[in-house]
Amino acid sequence: MFRVGAALGWVPAFAAAERPTLKPVAGKRTVVVLGAGISGLVATYELSRAGYRCSVLEASHRAGGRNLTLRRGDKVDELGHGQVCPFDDDPDLYLNAGPARIPSVHERLLEYCRELNVELSPFVNDNHSAWVQDDAMFDGKPLRNREYVTDARGFMAELLAKGIQSHRIDAQLDALDVERLLGFLRAYGDLDDQYLYRGSSRAGYRNAAMIEAPQLKGVLDIRELLKSSFWRSDMHFAEGQDQAPMMMEPVGGMDKVVAALMAKVGKSVQLNAQVESVMVRDGAVDVVYRARGERKRVSADYCLNCIPMHILNGIDNNFPADYSGAFTAIGRGKLFKLGLQSRERFWEREQIYGGISWTAQDITQIWYPAHGIHRRKGVLLAAYTFDPAAGERFADLAPAERIERAISQGEKVHPNYRQFIECGVSVAWHQMNHMLGCAAEWTEPLYQRWFARLQAPVGNHYLIGDQVSRHPGWQEGAIHSALHAITDIDRREQATRAGAVA
Amino acid sequence: MRTSVALALLTGAASLAAAATPDEFGYCTVCHGTNGNGNVAIRAPKLAGLPAWYVRAQLDSFRAGWRGVAAADAPGREMQPVAAALANDAVTARAVAYVATFEPRAPASSIAGDTARGSVLYAPCAACHGSAGSGDEAVGAPALTGQNDWYLVAQLHNYRDGLRGTHPGDARGAAMRPFAAALDDAAIVDVVAYVNAMTLPPVMRSDH
Repeated sequence: MFRVGAALGWVPAFAAAERPTLKPVAGKRTVVVLGAGISGLVATYELSRAGYRCSVLEASHRAGGRNLTLRRGDKVDELGHGQVCPFDDDPDLYLNAGPARIPSVHERLLEYCRELNVELSPFVNDNHSAWVQDDAMFDGKPLRNREYVTDARGFMAELLAKGIQSHRIDAQLDALDVERLLGFLRAYGDLDDQYLYRGSSRAGYRNAAMIEAPQLKGVLDIRELLKSSFWRSDMHFAEGQDQAPMMMEPVGGMDKVVAALMAKVGKSVQLNAQVESVMVRDGAVDVVYRARGERKRVSADYCLNCIPMHILNGIDNNFPADYSGAFTAIGRGKLFKLGLQSRERFWEREQIYGGISWTAQDITQIWYPAHGIHRRKGVLLAAYTFDPAAGERFADLAPAERIERAISQGEKVHPNYRQFIECGVSVAWHQMNHMLGCAAEWTEPLYQRWFARLQAPVGNHYLIGDQVSRHPGWQEGAIHSALHAITDIDRREQATRAGAVA
Repeated sequence: MRTSVALALLTGAASLAAAATPDEFGYCTVCHGTNGNGNVAIRAPKLAGLPAWYVRAQLDSFRAGWRGVAAADAPGREMQPVAAALANDAVTARAVAYVATFEPRAPASSIAGDTARGSVLYAPCAACHGSAGSGDEAVGAPALTGQNDWYLVAQLHNYRDGLRGTHPGDARGAAMRPFAAALDDAAIVDVVAYVNAMTLPPVMRSDH
């Protein structure tokens, strides 16, 4: 039945990297893994269990790559803007400075969380009580997300209903279709029985409406709503497959995923080991690295490499030009995150529990923690930029200036913001040591030009990480890339042994 | 068991010559590449082979905010806070000494220009940078040969467009500006192609 459904397109046919069952090699094969990010750690976990002798070289002082949770005392190794996280020592006061949410559709990551006992809790993206603020509409006065969305939909539904009723829309519909479509629009936009939008309780009431008669809010002027950039993408943000409910987060911070993997493979990981050279030769890969003032060479049968390709470009290598050309062709992301510790969870008194407020200013969004509800303090994600220019504008500033800018912009969303803020910490990913960028900036033409070549090995060297996936910027992409590479290694190992037996 | 397995592979690592990199400057090569030979992917220039006096002058220039502050100079703005974070003159002097340990490699050519036209355009450059492009400390002119060509192009643009050499304290940069101002985009490529021709062994020349 399932197969029939798939054939008819009822259920998706996944072309995902399956988690392989690797044939044991009994310790006879060696692998050097460059980088202890999610892809490197997952590959090491799987290969080690099959008897491959793995050694992980990690340039940073910590494992996890861009999976970075900042708590009190943690070092932020940003070049030129080093910081120490000043939050109170408390299990709920942390900032997920890298990945911060896990969608239900990221099955491989969820599978590892299940297997490694990483406790998960609900994460909230979409919150109709959160604010939408844009200087371009209503003189910059914030309004609730539900007001904007409800009135915009009401207007659109009424407009479409009018067009259909007056036969101005040629939709190839018979009378029954029209009747149903009008019903659809009435339900969608909460129109009245004349198919007019006169406001909706979905936008919230003017009063409490508990022991007094409900009073609807006035309908907002659609021309004002259209002035805002909110409808371009932020309004529909949580419609994305990777952003839609139900989302999750590990209890206590995203780096619980790293901790769980390190509990399995940490003994194979050498920190503060910076790679200087990667040379592929027949049947092996030679790596030169620097650690504790010494320069060393290690040779292994295979190399799995999740060094960001824009950094790899500056490391001595003998990759062919049709491969290394990608290192300069694909840009690096410039995302920026800033967390603020608030001495009171004032947002919860504004009926906001979790979720995101959106603003057209550089800070772009304010996230409210969905964990630690009704505790005294909380850490807000007070800036998370998507536009690289906004990221650069924040990155240029010294850490204290970044905090000041985030507060002053946040005051347009929460006028009483400043009095609650105690301290903050920020991460400009394109200036982070050993990272120098966020997700690789793939475009469809770049995928067509480079992806298949980058995914294929050079000799016994495999480039991995979210950078070699169709999901850059997601841990799930990193995992699929790792599984793809080790599946290929397993295939080659089995072919070699079959050949040896024959 | 897993401990011994992992250590077995790492202890199999052959020690090479002691790394000259002091821990305090481990980050330099993250951007500037192994041995400081530059990384065009992030627009980090080649440091290997630069004379100590020039490295010092540029670090001081970044530290003072003379360089790397213009809005359009994104790579410079990434370097500026890094230099500014050098705690004092003594740390800066150690950074300069470290850069001097880099082993320079011949850079690959990445541009194609008219070297004949470039040689004519180069004539005024020779007064300071030398007829062979080898530089002159006495007038504060760095060597041009051996540098990444993309970097020379970028810096000529920066001088010409007022992203470098405009701060009142930067007298050497100010001296360079009128020469860059005389060059349009094509002339910049041609003159750097000529520098390449002086730099590269014939087989790597791009003046075909």
